[in-house]
Amino acid sequence: MRAREPDSEGFVDRDGVKLHFEVLGDGEPTLLLLPTWTIIHARFWKAQVPYLARHFRVVTYDGPGNGGSDRPLDAGPYGFEEQARAAAAVLDATGTDRAVVVSLSMGAQWALWLMANQPEQVLGSVFIGPAVALEPGVGDLDPPFDEPYTSTDGWARYNRYYWLDHYQDFLEFFFGQCFTEAHSTKQIEDSVGWGLETSPEVLIAEHAGPEPDDATARGWCAASRCPVLVIHGGDDHIAAPRHGRALAEATGGRLVVLEGAGHIPNARDPVRVNRLIREFAESLPGGGPG
Amino acid sequence: MTAVRAPSGTRPAAEQTRARYPDAEGYVERDGVRVFWERYGDGEPTVFLLPTWSIVHSRFWKCQIPYLARHFRVLTFDGRGNGRADRPTTAEAYTEREFAADALAVLDATGTRRAALVSLSCGALWSTLLAADHPDRVDGLVYLGPAVGLAPPHPERAVHSFLEPLDTDEGWARYNQHYWLRDYRGFLEFFFARCLTEPHSTKAQEDCVAWALEMAPETLIASELGLLLCELESFQRQCRRIRCPTLVIHGDEDAIRPHAQGAALAAATRGRLVTLAGAGHLPQARDPVKVNLLIREFVESLGGTGR
Repeated sequence: MRAREPDSEGFVDRDGVKLHFEVLGDGEPTLLLLPTWTIIHARFWKAQVPYLARHFRVVTYDGPGNGGSDRPLDAGPYGFEEQARAAAAVLDATGTDRAVVVSLSMGAQWALWLMANQPEQVLGSVFIGPAVALEPGVGDLDPPFDEPYTSTDGWARYNRYYWLDHYQDFLEFFFGQCFTEAHSTKQIEDSVGWGLETSPEVLIAEHAGPEPDDATARGWCAASRCPVLVIHGGDDHIAAPRHGRALAEATGGRLVVLEGAGHIPNARDPVRVNRLIREFAESLPGGGPG
Repeated sequence: MTAVRAPSGTRPAAEQTRARYPDAEGYVERDGVRVFWERYGDGEPTVFLLPTWSIVHSRFWKCQIPYLARHFRVLTFDGRGNGRADRPTTAEAYTEREFAADALAVLDATGTRRAALVSLSCGALWSTLLAADHPDRVDGLVYLGPAVGLAPPHPERAVHSFLEPLDTDEGWARYNQHYWLRDYRGFLEFFFARCLTEPHSTKAQEDCVAWALEMAPETLIASELGLLLCELESFQRQCRRIRCPTLVIHGDEDAIRPHAQGAALAAATRGRLVTLAGAGHLPQARDPVKVNLLIREFVESLGGTGR
């Protein structure tokens, strides 16, 4: 059961891959809540949507591979450029000329692409726990993802063969790392449940999609002109807080560090995060009501 | 009787920030024992959130106060034994008569002519007594998970003696005064896990254990011995004297007090029974929205009465 049901919903078709979107509220401006890694779907915004939709128009959608969207098993739909173009297609399909883009974790990559390549559509950008490399070497995995695993400890479980063998165990490990705050059992259970709505095969296909290198990401930051807010948990075990600080500096944005928060503060500090998003959206030129 | 300060070994917890702070607060004293009250809001009528067993203090209403105070005038107080109240050491200081007399003294001290009473667990004993003895002061009664002997207890709770030393610490054997003195925290963690059987209750459990650590096991033993002095027959007589509307809210997974006890109380007071599916013994903490809406609806149905 949801606190608020969507006012309308539909699909966009990207080369035969259907993506499910929802629209709620009718305030100004529109907030586009981007998907994040395929391991969860748009319900990860559940603590934001009812509040923000009372003040703004909210558009959310499921990226390829989870939720109400198709689950392609080739890498194509999962590459960063196609993910970003899919976001632009959702804006078009919902009749949205311009929006405040809100992203979590690796959604930051697609938000940056939009800021650099479709600047007229982006009023402002809120990054939560951004996972985007502005320095070399970030994201290199040891041991490697594509070789049979020899250990099942910790991050050794981030491995295609381990996923195929012990998918739920990986989900429980990963979301335990995402939610380092006390009393996160509900959020972990929610996230594991959403992870189980897709499959290790989908996540393996997603892993093969290209990610931007650090030079590309720095280029996007240099090209972006819109106001930026970066919210980063001070105890983020997935994307270290220094990455959020670097992104704020590279985009000339404001950085808010939530002390003691983990990687998904929108779920564990929703009141704080919601107010920061609202305050940011209302501060934008032409962003207020009316 | 004389007031006794907190025995050494207890510590006041660093209080968390609150969603809403009281508009007025104070102490009332009876026979040398002080209890601490708070008032929130100024709507009509007054909703009086009563103490329960001294193991927790009035912060256990923390999910009710901010909501109810937007609609009503809300009173609450720390019952004797915990919070900012004194901690008498004798069993006789913890009977239902003493709690009911404290509640009446709080009504008087705050200039409250009438109120709807809301109680949790063994708070049912003093709210019933107060309504039976002072029908002119009580508009209605809401009972959450009432701990009343109108139906048998859970069988596993009837096995072990509270008073006698036991040769086991397993399960409900921990509900034993000797165990409390030996491993107070061990008892608290067991007890509140049984109170809060719903998934995702870690925060509510942590809160309750911390409130209980603000009192000493010696005080908790005295309060338990006081409750053991309460007699079923006199409680049944009080129920028959209740004339105001009543609402009983009871979880069907309550592992402390069987749902049948709440059902029997609703029947004995000719009130309404609301069963919360899947809920444990502390639904005000784990189903606060549902409980708050039920309390509000009930209080509004009583018809406005000036204080």
